[in-house]
Amino acid sequence: MSVVARLDEAKAARRGTPLIAFNGTTLRLGGKTIIEQLDLEVRPGEFVCIVGASGCGKTTALRLAAGLYRPSEGAVTFNGEPMTEPRREVAVVFQDYGKALLPWRTAAGNISLALEASRVPSRERNGRIDALLRKVGLPGHADKYPTEMSGGMQQRLQIARCLAQEPTTLLMDEPFGALDAMTRQGLQDEVLSLTQASRTTVIFVTHDLDEAIYLGDRVIGLLPHPGRIGIEIDVNLPRPRDQLATREHPEFLRLRRQLFDFIKATEH
Amino acid sequence: MNRAAILWRVASILVAAGFIAAWQLVANLKLVSPVFLPGPDRAWTALVRGFSSGDLASKLIGTLEHMAYGWLAASIAGIALGALIGSSKLMRAYVAPSLEFLRPLPVSAIIPVAIAMLGLTQGMALFVIAFGAIWPIMLATIHGFAAVEPRLYEVARALQMSRMAVIAKIALPSALPDILAGMRLSLTVALILSVVCEILAGLDGLGHWVLLSARAFRSADLFAGVILLGATGYLTSVAMSVVEQRLLAWQAAAR
Ligand SMILES: Nc1ncnc2c1ncn2[C@@H]1O[C@H](COP(=O)(O)OP(=O)(O)O)[C@@H](O)[C@H]1O
Ligand SMILES: [Mg+2]
Repeated sequence: MSVVARLDEAKAARRGTPLIAFNGTTLRLGGKTIIEQLDLEVRPGEFVCIVGASGCGKTTALRLAAGLYRPSEGAVTFNGEPMTEPRREVAVVFQDYGKALLPWRTAAGNISLALEASRVPSRERNGRIDALLRKVGLPGHADKYPTEMSGGMQQRLQIARCLAQEPTTLLMDEPFGALDAMTRQGLQDEVLSLTQASRTTVIFVTHDLDEAIYLGDRVIGLLPHPGRIGIEIDVNLPRPRDQLATREHPEFLRLRRQLFDFIKATEH
Repeated sequence: MNRAAILWRVASILVAAGFIAAWQLVANLKLVSPVFLPGPDRAWTALVRGFSSGDLASKLIGTLEHMAYGWLAASIAGIALGALIGSSKLMRAYVAPSLEFLRPLPVSAIIPVAIAMLGLTQGMALFVIAFGAIWPIMLATIHGFAAVEPRLYEVARALQMSRMAVIAKIALPSALPDILAGMRLSLTVALILSVVCEILAGLDGLGHWVLLSARAFRSADLFAGVILLGATGYLTSVAMSVVEQRLLAWQAAAR
């Protein structure tokens, strides 16, 4: 056995069997190659962040992982099976919460949509809805319509609806991109506490480098035209993360610098 | 109700009262021959007499039946066809040109066709009323289904919702404001066509009553019928807005 092969094997063993795997995944849309030869493995319970310039293919990669797109070449697998259709154990938090919520249903009704799809008996639903609303910090808002809620509250509601699916995996597309800094930091910590406790696997797309390092176990930087992996860094910062201490950690600043240089180099 | 709304309500009642007063004045001064124009007093007496003798009530019920059956048939067919066409891009591309050809066709033009095929029957009336009333509903439904937020279909896919569930829980509620607006427009069309069919086919209803009254120069009875038709149009429209307000309560929350 060659040294290289043995090294690869050691690496695979360290990483464990992947939950989500892109294997030489290429996606063409309308004759244009959007994603090319993407290789990425996400382990169970891992929090992977994807960063990259606008238009580099972050959303497209996430949609491939969700089964909303089928690869033109290569494969995307979930637990070893091809991901050709969405599955209920993989929940998607869309960027535009305003469009992803049903305006004619209350907060409770929106969560109920996921419970109905999972065939939860109606007598169990109210209890589950209350618990989910409490979990995302929206107790007492059950009867509000989405339009009566702030952006932050709407995004919490969408997250609650995703949690109602009882997913093992959360795919989040710039979920806090449209929110103000304070709301954003609050939600970052909430997502961490929600997912770390249940060992939920997360792929989190963002264009905010600080956010990616703060949240992730690993950060993937994409290169544009066509989208492919340009950098991959492991984040060895202690958990639980802390908005002040983590962001002042020398390792945080070093990684921030490294990512910043990478993004800067892709932007011309 | 706030102050402004109350003022508007009072103002509209005053205008209506002024209108009736002017009508009474014109009749009293005999500006128009009483043979053609009765005053509101005589029209009212005719209305009361018509109901107490029982004849007018059965005519009113006749018209309401024609209107209701035609409108319901148009609603069911219009929503079903509109949903089918509106939810598929391909269908829209294929069917839209034919619709553009059929839509401006005056319904009066198909009445002779309907009479030739179905005779002077209730069936003919039902067909004509439904044919006329289907357009606003179907076109509104097509628009409503075509305008469903695509993101919501992806939410449905991610939740692995069944096709039926997607229609019932996503597409229909999303298109409902359009559908209800179309159904409201069709209400008026159905009333007009009910009267036309009753006149042409001699079917029991207010249209027939109005025609017979006019032929016999019973202008007070004629006006009693016209007043009832107006009231029917007004009250069905009010009932429809009450239904709309209840079903679309979520839109009020948005404002
Ligand atoms: N359905 C589509 N058809 C054609 N091109 C697309 C489609 N969706 C996205 N693209 C293109 O793919 C590229 C990547 O898009 P996207 O994944 O949304 O980028 P990001 O999320 O990183 O901003 C963009 O150049 C975009 O124009
Ligand atoms: Mg994007």
